[in-house]
Amino acid sequence: MRQLSLPLGILLAASLAALALSVSVGSANVAAGELWAVLRGGGEALSRTLVLELRVPRSLSAFAVGGLLAVAGALMQVLLRNPLADPYVLGLSGGASVGALAAMLGGMGGMVISGSAFGGALLSTLLVFGLAHGTGSWTPSRLLLTGVVVAAGWGAVITLMLAISPAERLPGMLYWLMGDLSYARTPWPPMTLLMAVCLLVIPLGRSLNVLARGPLQAAALGVSVRPLEWLIYIAASLLTAMAVTTAGSIGFVGLVVPHMLRLMLGNDQRLILPACALAGGTLLVLADTLARTMIAPEQLPVGVITALLGVPTFLYLLYRSR
Amino acid sequence: MTTSVPAVPRLSAFTLAIDLACLGGAWRWPLVALGLAGLPGLSAMADGEERCVVDDRDREVCLEAPATRIAALSPGATELVYAAGAGEKVVAVVAYSDYPPEAQEVQSVGSHTRMDLEALVTLLPDLVIGWMTGNPPEQLETIEALGMPVFYIEPRDVEGVSSAIERLAILADTREAGDQAAAVFRDGMAALAERYADAEPVSVFYQVWDEPLMSINDEHLIGQVVSLCGGINVFGALPRLVPRIDDESVLAADPEAIVAGGMGEENRHWLTHWEQYPTLTAVARDNLFFVPPSLIQRPTPRLLEGSRILCEKLEVARGRR
Repeated sequence: MRQLSLPLGILLAASLAALALSVSVGSANVAAGELWAVLRGGGEALSRTLVLELRVPRSLSAFAVGGLLAVAGALMQVLLRNPLADPYVLGLSGGASVGALAAMLGGMGGMVISGSAFGGALLSTLLVFGLAHGTGSWTPSRLLLTGVVVAAGWGAVITLMLAISPAERLPGMLYWLMGDLSYARTPWPPMTLLMAVCLLVIPLGRSLNVLARGPLQAAALGVSVRPLEWLIYIAASLLTAMAVTTAGSIGFVGLVVPHMLRLMLGNDQRLILPACALAGGTLLVLADTLARTMIAPEQLPVGVITALLGVPTFLYLLYRSR
Repeated sequence: MTTSVPAVPRLSAFTLAIDLACLGGAWRWPLVALGLAGLPGLSAMADGEERCVVDDRDREVCLEAPATRIAALSPGATELVYAAGAGEKVVAVVAYSDYPPEAQEVQSVGSHTRMDLEALVTLLPDLVIGWMTGNPPEQLETIEALGMPVFYIEPRDVEGVSSAIERLAILADTREAGDQAAAVFRDGMAALAERYADAEPVSVFYQVWDEPLMSINDEHLIGQVVSLCGGINVFGALPRLVPRIDDESVLAADPEAIVAGGMGEENRHWLTHWEQYPTLTAVARDNLFFVPPSLIQRPTPRLLEGSRILCEKLEVARGRR
């Protein structure tokens, strides 16, 4: 048990530190004493607005979205036993993006965009799972190939929608495609989902460990493989859809965070899944803090920063691990 | 194996261009709300009482006291607030707010597509001028939720510009200056319309952008100016406000005059592109005209000067028949 709690403790501390940093810096200057007063329920009205209405919700949203994407990626990699699997490669986020962009193109706002993105992600899930299933059995490689082709199809639809959309809607749609947390209003839906899914899948850690070794072995060891695989896929779709509706499509987190953690911590799902939630959240909180402060008042899309932070870290770990 | 997030990187250069075209200020708007806009209900009160105006989203915006700290969230809004005589009260602008020159000294709160809300909140504005189709609606909603009144603008025609100035002047309690500026613009445009009402029609292609090649239809404010000057926009009947077209369709339409803006104010290279087609009437008669985009692509009082230039160019084209 100590093996599990030490890395998780470190990651938890890192998450809290990242959140604290994110709440204390911004383009406006809130002094440390004032910040402390605000967090204890006092402070001036302006500082209260800055910290409690703008920074805290955004930081928590970033944390939740990063956690959702990383856990979704980890689940996909177990399901497909393929290191390249992530929600983006499998067309989930493509479906969600098409749904959201269609709503934006129709001039809809807020809840309709979220619902439409969610519908797109579910449609993509059913499409990929159904087609890969086909008439015969499905194998991870078949599922992966179906997912990649469906993702390419969504990519083409996205390009088409951008090409025919009115010019005044383009900047919004583009920033959304690059991933952007400045539109996130309330952190609670993604946060609740992240916690719920963590509570749901962490008890399954042992079964997931067996499944990662292959379906035949898992079946031989008494795991009911098919229901478990469906559960994983639906959970991953739900996580991705929520992440995409909150912050647009932020690439890279779902692919890289699970791999980084596996390189450092080994491939025990009981540890990797909660670690992904914490590390993914931390990465996105840090990336978003940079995105909104680096060249303030101009704001950068957070997806750029996640890639710029994640790529060198990942390559370094991969190089070291050989 | 494919990479994640398809399509976006390849598109970004192109759409950045579109973005800049928007920043240049063409305030585009689909046909939907045109009929409903009507005239604003002006109901200004005497000092000390509440002042209310109807914004371009048809919502009533009321202020207890005249606005003293105004945030203008688009380059066009900045120009309109200055035109309304409330320039001294502007405390926040966005990128590319370059006119009048004093506006460049005001603190920027980022790009109009993504404002830095922290910076905006810190400036304590008591009136925010939002751009209906240019600013992200989520951010404007957040601004309102934080207790700052938002006045949405989206001038779609000549009267929309005058009325926006008048309404801003009511909110800022600068009616004298605002009403005068609005009247100068309204009368100037009316005089142009009268002068060219019976002019010989000239077929015109107005080029908004070069790659991809884009024009405007008759609903667009620039399209309205073309008509006002006695021009016939060859792409006026297309359904999209800012249609994307190709060289071939320009050759087929064979306009008598080609009018272009450009990235820079002095940049004419979009026009030289057409000289490779000597069979075009516009090229044969040397009717390739440049109108500075900042004078015609923003729905602000400077449009009067841009319209005068455009009308004069078309008059030149008539003289070359």
